[in-house]
This record gives sequence, structure tokens and C-alpha cells, in this order.
Amino acid sequence: MAETFKSIVNIISAFAIPMFIVVFLGWGLIKKVKVYEVFVEGAKDGFNTAVKIIPFLVAMLFAIGIFRASGAMDVVVSLLSPLTNLIGMPADVLPLALLRPLSGSGSMGLMTELMKTNGPDSFIGVLASTMFGSTETTFYILAVYFGSVGIKNTRHALPAGLVADFFGMLGAVFIVRVLFSL
Amino acid sequence: MLNYVWISLLLIGIFTAIGRDIHDVVTDPYRNGQPVPARFEQTRQRTSAHPVFEGTIVIPAASFDQFYGITSAAGEIRQPAVLTTLASGRQKLEITVSDATPAHWKRMAEVAGKGTMEASVDSYDAASGTLSFTMERIAFVKIKAVTKAAIEFADTAVTISLGLIGVMALWLGIMKVGEAAGLLEALTKVMTPVTRRLFPDVPSNHPAVAAMIMNIAANMFGLNNAATPMGLKAMEELNKLNPKAGTATNAMCTFLVVNTSGLTLIPATAIAIRAGLGSADPGIIIGTSIFGAACATIAGLTAVKLLQRLPRYKKELEIDGEEAARG
Repeated sequence: MAETFKSIVNIISAFAIPMFIVVFLGWGLIKKVKVYEVFVEGAKDGFNTAVKIIPFLVAMLFAIGIFRASGAMDVVVSLLSPLTNLIGMPADVLPLALLRPLSGSGSMGLMTELMKTNGPDSFIGVLASTMFGSTETTFYILAVYFGSVGIKNTRHALPAGLVADFFGMLGAVFIVRVLFSL
Repeated sequence: MLNYVWISLLLIGIFTAIGRDIHDVVTDPYRNGQPVPARFEQTRQRTSAHPVFEGTIVIPAASFDQFYGITSAAGEIRQPAVLTTLASGRQKLEITVSDATPAHWKRMAEVAGKGTMEASVDSYDAASGTLSFTMERIAFVKIKAVTKAAIEFADTAVTISLGLIGVMALWLGIMKVGEAAGLLEALTKVMTPVTRRLFPDVPSNHPAVAAMIMNIAANMFGLNNAATPMGLKAMEELNKLNPKAGTATNAMCTFLVVNTSGLTLIPATAIAIRAGLGSADPGIIIGTSIFGAACATIAGLTAVKLLQRLPRYKKELEIDGEEAARG
């Protein structure tokens, strides 16, 4: 079952982009759109959008960089670990849960480290990789998506995003405990 | 809220770094300026063509632990090193860092940012092999790391942003063709029942809806290169409906949360790393990840819909009288 699902999704993923290009540009051709000219016209915005993101991403990443380099994470982990022990989350994966919304590459490194030390098929290995797959890098997405249209007042997006991260982590701990706990 | 979170990350980071460095100054874990007693076993004769001593530094585990005031489980420390006499007559010791290096020294080499550790030799008696050397001074490790990180990450941000230019241009070009051909509108009609509920403020035939649907679909199938440009296109379209430039609308916040929850059918990165580490079943996390991401998505959407009703967030979207009059 899982194998079939995986191969179907893999096939769709492999063909999606070429098919997408064919459908969009082909449809344009049928509708007598000057495809090349319109494409170039649209592509022009690529540069502006990317440049607009820069100040937002600099602000976000340098703050996260300072936080991580200072070792403040260890302090936060030691403060929170009594709480997470209560819900059955091993102390080993707590730094991963905290880093996941902050840094994509950082949390990937932590996940790899956890699986190297404990083995990818151990309880902690499965939990770490599930946690990594259960949510996205909230702060990065916030900076990039809102930055591209110059949104400075993000209103309730961050609290809602962090609620999502929190429940994603809880969900991961719950399901892995139920299915893989020995 | 972002204001407070942002400044907290910065201040907590900087003050923790200062605190840790003060702690280091007080406890002196690297024994700055104190000579390390050791023995030096020559492995290669010094000749005029090869005017250095090559050999091994030997320190018994007990005296190493006593010197640094730590307990390491390691046995006798044997570390390859090169002893050079400088033009000034002083002797320099270079210790190669390898897997066998004690953890404490490894950490010291790491903070010094070099592959080798350097020390000045206080005394060396070639006949008996008695050696005494002083390591390079290590201080203010964390605050230096913080400074380095601030500059490095600012650089990374620019690299990431500029790296988006190519895929952004590609997808925005393709989307523009779809828009001109009326394909985006056709796509929105199919998905109206779902999107009307999630984004009630967005007219159901608006191009933003199509861009959002394509972004979500690309995320589902793990097409990250396509998902970001489509998401940014969607943001641009949503911003056209924004009455107050610079402030996020309810629809924007909802769309952002859908993205940060990261619902994907195949968590490709995690699976690839699992396979690389020799997992017997790398794909075993597909089901659990979908469950976790579904929890995140449901909780996030619930939160975003509840929070947007709070007076403080409602007020931020209102256009102030003064501003409206001006323009």
C-alpha cells in the first residue's frame, strides 16, 4: 500500500513540471497568445521579486544566526525539557523541535546527527525524521512570502504559524509513539 | 508579535553569548597561559634538510584530566605534532587534530577555527623528551561567534534571495502565459468550493486563487522549485486586493499558514537522508509525516481563523481616518 502510494506520487512529481510547461504554453498557443513575448514579459518580474526579498531575509536570518551561534538554544532546551518529558517527547529531539521553524538547513543537520547517533530506524531516528517532515521553516517562509510584497506588519501570521508548528510536533510525537513505541 | 520575537532572538542571543564568555573568563576552561606538561617522542630525526622535530605528544589521561579539571573517559593521549624552531629562536608546536584527539582539544581547535592547534614551547629537552608548552590563548569565544554569524547570515540571505532569480523568472514567465490564455481563471472554477471557504475575501475567479492552488499542489508533490515562485505570485495577486499596503490581509495570513504547515505527500529530504544513512525502510515516515503535517495544517488554520477575529488584529487592517483622507 505504502509502496504503491509512494511510486504514484513519485511518477506524478517527475512528470509534473514538464506537463505543466506543455499545458500552459500549449494552451497559450491555442488561444493565440504570443507565447515568447508574454513569457519574457512575465519573467522580467523575477529579478525585482528576488531583490525585494533581500532586506526581509537579511533581518530574519541574521537574528536567527545570532541566536544559534550564542548557544542560547541549550539554555532554552534545559528550561523546557521537564515539560516535554511529561508528554513523552525524548529530550534528544527537543532541540530539533525548537530549531525546525527557525532554520531549514540547521534542523536538517540536527536530524541527520540524531539519525547517525541513534540509527535511522530507531525510535528517535523515526521521530526526528517525522518531525522534520511535519512542518516547514516558518520564519523563512514568512520573510520570503511577505517580503516579496513589502508586508511589514505581519499581524497574526506568526502566532498562527507557530501554533501550526507546535501541533505538528505534538502530532509527530503522538503518531510515532503509537506506531513505533516498543 | 514579529517585532517582539525578532528582538528577543537578537537580545537573548547576544546576552547569552556575553554571559557564557564571562563564565569562561571566570572558570578558565582552556587554561589560558598555563604550560601543559607532556612528553615528546621523536619519530623522525632532525636533519639540516628537514629542520623540524616530528613526533608524538604523550600525556597520561589522569594528568590531562587534572590539568583541565575535567573527566574524560579517554586513555593516554597520543597526538602527532611537529616542533619547529623559529628564526627568533623560539620554538613552536603544531598539533594535528584528528578523530583520536581528545574532545576538549577538539573543541579548542574548533573555536580557534583551524585544523591544527598551535602552541609555544616553554621548554624541551630532546634527551629526556620532557616537553612543556602553552596553547594559544582562547577567549570571548561566543561573542566572536555571534559577530561572525551576524555577518555570515546577512550574506547568506542575499545569496538565497539572488538564487531565486532564475526559477522565479522561469515560473513567472510560464504563469504569465497561462494568465494571458485564460488558463488561470479556468483552474479557479474547479476549486471554488474549497477556496471560497478558506479565503472568503478573495473573489473566486481572481488569479490569486489559481496561483494559490498551484502553489499548494506543487508543495504536495514536493516541487519546491515551482512552489515558491507560485506562492510569491499568489502573494502578489493577493496584495492587489490589499486595502492597506504593508499590512498583511486575512487571506495573506491564511495562505502563509498553509505554506508554513508544509503539508506534503512525500517528505523527500528526510527520506533521502534516511536512505543515505542506511535505513532498512526510508519511506516508513511518509504516513507519520502526513499525519504530523495534517495536525499542523488543521491547528494552523483554526488558529488563523480565530486570531483574525481578535480586535487588536482587526484594528491593524483598518485604514486610519487621516490616512484615508490623504489618499
